[in-house]
Amino acid sequence: MKALEVADLVVEIGGQRVLDGVSLDVAVLEFLCLLGPNGGGKTTLLKAVLGLLAPRAGRILVLGEPPEKGRRRVGYLPQRKAFARGFPATAADLIVAARRGAWPLRAREEEREAARRALAGVGGERLLDKSLHALSGGETQRVFLARALVHAPELLLLDEPTAGVDSRGREEFLELLGGIAERGRLAAVLVTHNLAAVRRLADRVVYLEHRVLVEGTASEVLAHADLPRAAGHDHAEPGPLCEED
Amino acid sequence: MDFLTEPLGHAFLRRALFAGVAIAAAAGLLGPFVVQRGLAFLADGLAHATFGGIALGLLLGAGLDFAPLVALPFAVLVALAIGGVRRRSGLGADVATGVFFTVSFALGVIGLGLRPAAAPPVDVESLLFGSLLAVSHEGLFAVLAAALVTLVVLLRLWPQLAYATFDPELAALSGVRVAFVEQVLMALVALVVVAGLRSVGVVLVSAVIILPAATAHLLAERPSWIAALSVGLAVGASVLGLFVSYHLNLAAGATIVVLLGAGFFLALAGSSRRPSS
Repeated sequence: MKALEVADLVVEIGGQRVLDGVSLDVAVLEFLCLLGPNGGGKTTLLKAVLGLLAPRAGRILVLGEPPEKGRRRVGYLPQRKAFARGFPATAADLIVAARRGAWPLRAREEEREAARRALAGVGGERLLDKSLHALSGGETQRVFLARALVHAPELLLLDEPTAGVDSRGREEFLELLGGIAERGRLAAVLVTHNLAAVRRLADRVVYLEHRVLVEGTASEVLAHADLPRAAGHDHAEPGPLCEED
Repeated sequence: MDFLTEPLGHAFLRRALFAGVAIAAAAGLLGPFVVQRGLAFLADGLAHATFGGIALGLLLGAGLDFAPLVALPFAVLVALAIGGVRRRSGLGADVATGVFFTVSFALGVIGLGLRPAAAPPVDVESLLFGSLLAVSHEGLFAVLAAALVTLVVLLRLWPQLAYATFDPELAALSGVRVAFVEQVLMALVALVVVAGLRSVGVVLVSAVIILPAATAHLLAERPSWIAALSVGLAVGASVLGLFVSYHLNLAAGATIVVLLGAGFFLALAGSSRRPSS
């Protein structure tokens, strides 16, 4: 069984074809980096894998199951933290809600302990009772990573986790992801523009621009001479590949 | 003590007290979700749109006591239609609300004008501004039933609604049926608005939903405390407003809203909360 199987996937949003016949696999325990230009369909692919977007055609199997079932065994770190800033929530609330599947009016002691352990695993134990809206970008990412890991997922989906984080926080976060990858108990798909992350973490790299353009090891894909042109890379815009986010 | 006991000797005031407390409790528990989701204008727009439903009921021959039975499905349909237009068109909730609010209110005005000349006269002022002291036995029963339904459903769905309010996408990933709980929330707003029409009127009913919740947001940090405080403020203002309006011969609904407004500005002045970035 693969951690993720995507075959001939077509997704349209607002009448526009964002994914056009995408096929890719992620093996159990494999760390896959997903590269591509903004608007190339990386986030759309993750949302389809999570069952948040319905494909027009194609097939997705998450740990051998359809997305709506398989996603219970998936951890997800979203790119854009779209939570309501005015909603009074702590890190513990967020993590307990992910375990419970409902917002906790009051967390039980064993739930708080599980949240504390999840935060300790990402170096954020002191954030347990902090309000989410008071956290820095790096702290927010740690809390959301703890949320993604709290139910011991077998597949981790990370959507540009170091975007909006300062350079020190980015280094620390990559270190953290490296540790998770080395512990090797899960497969991961990392969407990133960050070359340092790709070189450090990727077992395999897929370059996606509406369809899979290039696939291989990090050195094979990054050495691909046609990539910037194939990606329609405009040097005036944030590129699909850069040393920093 | 006479301040409290003398008015309670009147049956109409006891009915008003029960109706006011019931609608305040339901609105107070509903309000935090409306405020946290930025739906204050929707609640206000829905209240105005309900005027069209009341007018339709009157046009169909129902009296003022029974017109809300027509207004309720009308308001629920408008609430769901606002959500539908927002999803299909990509327009903001404020735009979709503005469209339905104005068109429904205009239809209400036309509907009232189309009633036969022989039809019993309608006190439009009491529709717009409420007449809590004139709540009948039937009206009280309807308000109590609406409040009970609202409280039971909200308490049952609170964890799912709170999660979907915090972040709909994460809630969906955790198994919350986000579209369903959002539709239930819209339906409950419509129910409370219709139930509150006779008490505080079309123009002021949304204030009973929004003001206590907004005040509670300024004073409390935890969602459970915000909910409890919102209910407490709504019920307190409702009781106090009723007695004050009786003794000073003021409009009851407006007095309640003014007290809630005073509470909000006092909390604002005393609150150390700063806007989150």
